[in-house]
Amino acid sequence: MKEPIDDIEISRRQFIEGTSAALAVAVTASPVAGQTAAVPASAAVPRTTIRLAVNGKARRVEVEDRWTLAELLRDHLGLTGTKLGCERGECGACTVQLDGKPVYSCSTLAVWADGRSVRTVEGLARGGRLDPLQQSFVDHDAPQCGFCTSGQLMTARALLDANPHPTADEVRSAMAGNLCRCSNYNRYVEAVLAAAAAGGSRA
Amino acid sequence: MAEPLPPLKTVGHATPRIDAVDRVTGKATYTRDVRLPGMLYARVLRSPHPHARIRRIDTSKAAALPGVKAIATGDNCKVVWGAGGIAGGRQYSDEVKATTTQRRYAFNNPVRFVGDPVAAVAAVDRHVAEEALQLIAVDYELLPFVLDHEDALKPDAPKIWPEGNLALDVENKAQPMVQRRGSVDQALKQSAHVFEDRYSTQFVHNAQMEPRACVAAWDGDKLTVYTPTGGIANCRHDMARDLGIPEEKVRVICQYMGGNFGNKNQNQDADLIAAFLARLAGAPVKLETSRKEDFIGMHGRWPTTQYYTVGVKGDGTIDAIRLRAVSGMGGYRKNSGGMAGVELYACGNIESTISPAYTNRTVSGNYRGPEFPQGYFGVQSMMDDVAYRLKMDPVDFVLKNMARTAPGNASFTNFTLEECVRRGADAFEWKRRWRPQPGSDPGPIKRGAGMAFMEFRSGVGRSSAVITLDGKGQYTCFVGVTDVGAGAKTTMGMIAAEELGVPLSKIEVVWGDTDRCPYSVGESGSRTTIMTGYAVIEAARDLKKQIAEKGMPAREQKLIASATPNPTVEGRKVRNAFGAHFVEVEVDVELGRVRVTKYVSVADCGRLINPLTAKGQMAGGAIQAIGMALHEDLIYDQRTGQPLTAGFYYDRIPTHRDAPDIDVLFVESDDGYGAYGSKSLGESGKAPGPAAIANAIFNATGHRFKDLPITRARILEALA
Repeated sequence: MKEPIDDIEISRRQFIEGTSAALAVAVTASPVAGQTAAVPASAAVPRTTIRLAVNGKARRVEVEDRWTLAELLRDHLGLTGTKLGCERGECGACTVQLDGKPVYSCSTLAVWADGRSVRTVEGLARGGRLDPLQQSFVDHDAPQCGFCTSGQLMTARALLDANPHPTADEVRSAMAGNLCRCSNYNRYVEAVLAAAAAGGSRA
Repeated sequence: MAEPLPPLKTVGHATPRIDAVDRVTGKATYTRDVRLPGMLYARVLRSPHPHARIRRIDTSKAAALPGVKAIATGDNCKVVWGAGGIAGGRQYSDEVKATTTQRRYAFNNPVRFVGDPVAAVAAVDRHVAEEALQLIAVDYELLPFVLDHEDALKPDAPKIWPEGNLALDVENKAQPMVQRRGSVDQALKQSAHVFEDRYSTQFVHNAQMEPRACVAAWDGDKLTVYTPTGGIANCRHDMARDLGIPEEKVRVICQYMGGNFGNKNQNQDADLIAAFLARLAGAPVKLETSRKEDFIGMHGRWPTTQYYTVGVKGDGTIDAIRLRAVSGMGGYRKNSGGMAGVELYACGNIESTISPAYTNRTVSGNYRGPEFPQGYFGVQSMMDDVAYRLKMDPVDFVLKNMARTAPGNASFTNFTLEECVRRGADAFEWKRRWRPQPGSDPGPIKRGAGMAFMEFRSGVGRSSAVITLDGKGQYTCFVGVTDVGAGAKTTMGMIAAEELGVPLSKIEVVWGDTDRCPYSVGESGSRTTIMTGYAVIEAARDLKKQIAEKGMPAREQKLIASATPNPTVEGRKVRNAFGAHFVEVEVDVELGRVRVTKYVSVADCGRLINPLTAKGQMAGGAIQAIGMALHEDLIYDQRTGQPLTAGFYYDRIPTHRDAPDIDVLFVESDDGYGAYGSKSLGESGKAPGPAAIANAIFNATGHRFKDLPITRARILEALA
């Protein structure tokens, strides 16, 4: 069964674009790969087809309107690097970048990403090379359990992109929405400052 | 001063984790990231009432919802959860599970706290599962409830168990835990000064970042469980026992987990419920819990009320300590409810009576030094106060009265507590920061300094390791650790590299899978490095011996070395880690705000295996201590029994903005035990923190805050 998710596979995109919207919905309402059975017909969940870029790759996806962006990324695009710590906008583990700005993907509906660009932790390394910020996190032992790390990275990357040389206080403020129960906060701040001092720009 | 230890090749050098890249690229697989073909999603329905009898559960509407594949309730699931709610807080004991009269089931009736599981549904996706929960009708008969652990022991309190609210011990007897030495009554009669006071501490949730989850799959009669557990071997044993299947029919896998702090040892009800649903549905089941469920449905640090009577000689020597205390265990007894602290003092007359009481609140259990931070807060606030009343410097009082031998006059394997205190006082500049007159700073912003100290068990014990060497020269170290965040995989690899005399890059570490790894003690009790680390050393020695005898293995050959040492400490000696925390705070008495302006944490954790991860552990412990001292509390509505602060936001765990610099200093020692002299580390980093912070607040303000947390509201109430 084909997944209702279209990346850069041209033939399928041409197929979908060459058919009526109604047909596209009918075709893409098939079960999502990896899930067992069809979503019950009685649920009649509203669905919308969205286009978005995920880590630089154009995607066209039919989503249930109730899906969060986190759910789309984790369960349907296989990008499980984005973590869910609370699903209510309190902890920041699910932080991704939406058009370059950090957002809580647990509190962002997938449909809101229509026409926009999403970057996740999987999109930081380029050509097998870690982003300098990732390398700095490794060197400073910033992740302990690692569960909040993706979110810390995405917030910090957005900060450095907007402000390449932040003060420690600016780093703490920018990252205040990313909790770490291992409480390795000072290591995270050190790692961000070190990456900034080393140039910190993207590889 | 202790001599610096002779350097080793790999051990003792700051080393990035061997799995660090997986952690920064999103490749590390946590339980919720596991996805199996045909997998269903499960959700748990929990009691909305603090205490109620279930008359009837009607699941017919939920069962009729398309996409629902299995429903579990107490009607069809009679599984007893052995790792929780058993008498005496003896979590691991199979015997106690068989004999206790107070059994905790996966689904209980009556329900005893808001959050007690009532039913669970497995469905084709999580939205259907959630919808199905709404369709389950439960007819509750509401029962009177009690929230406060002292109220629970009053004669007219609602009974949570037929035997009453004083928790039963392993012999099914309702009696407090009593420790006695000397005669407190007699000593108090002769004391120059007698002081009495009451201290209390709150329920503090572990609040690890990863909410509990489980993926359970049956292949015939073999069960595979992916779960965030700190002890895969314990979890496997518990699952087999609770489900009544042979241990070899259970496989437990935990590759990465999002924090532990004592909250994820052994098996959990979520594991049993997922396994039960998976068997019922004939398909793999992923059970996920929400953050709120994790806060109210799991467990945290037991709240306490502590009454002290202390007798002191004219020269400031402690004569007698009496502690009468009550611990709140929630609806089930998952751990002892004990309190550490009185043993810290060289005092011949000690009497400690601790009553673990059932309440209709979330269950209390293990959280980072289960009986330490709350006990230390009480006794070390009390003693700090005694020092001021005697016009003594608290550091001098501690140095005068600290126990230099273990209870029963047993000696320690080594004793560095005094050095830790002196080193900390110097590094902190105690004499400069401490105010001889508490609260003497002019103006509304007042500074002050406080300190507290600790001992933490570092006993040796049984664990296993296997190391293989293949014909290509690849060493593989198999250890049953899961790496809860402390860096155990890297530590084990470093120990193997050291003992084998090869670089760490030559060692592959295999972990977190009971089908591939030998027994490990589990990452609780801060003992992985001591016990499993020592097993790695023994396995490496065996491998070296084999290489010496047989030579390096040829192309298709493999050498396999294994060890299950069960070392003991010589004679009656006691092995402890030691340490002291020194804290300076700034209290704005008009705003009620506390800022930590200096924090020095000193510890003898034996020899450090990896200083990089060790320092992070100690700093993290100190920041968790700040959260416990100033913010965190699971508050209940007294009228309805509803938890009001179940979540990160209202519980207020520390954020980036609340984290001061933590100066971590180690007094390294090697007493000849553990792996290269390593001692316990992870839990001890938090233990004395809340006491030290509270003592600093006293020094700053001149007001003794006797109840944790010391919130802004409490400060304003006392001082504004």
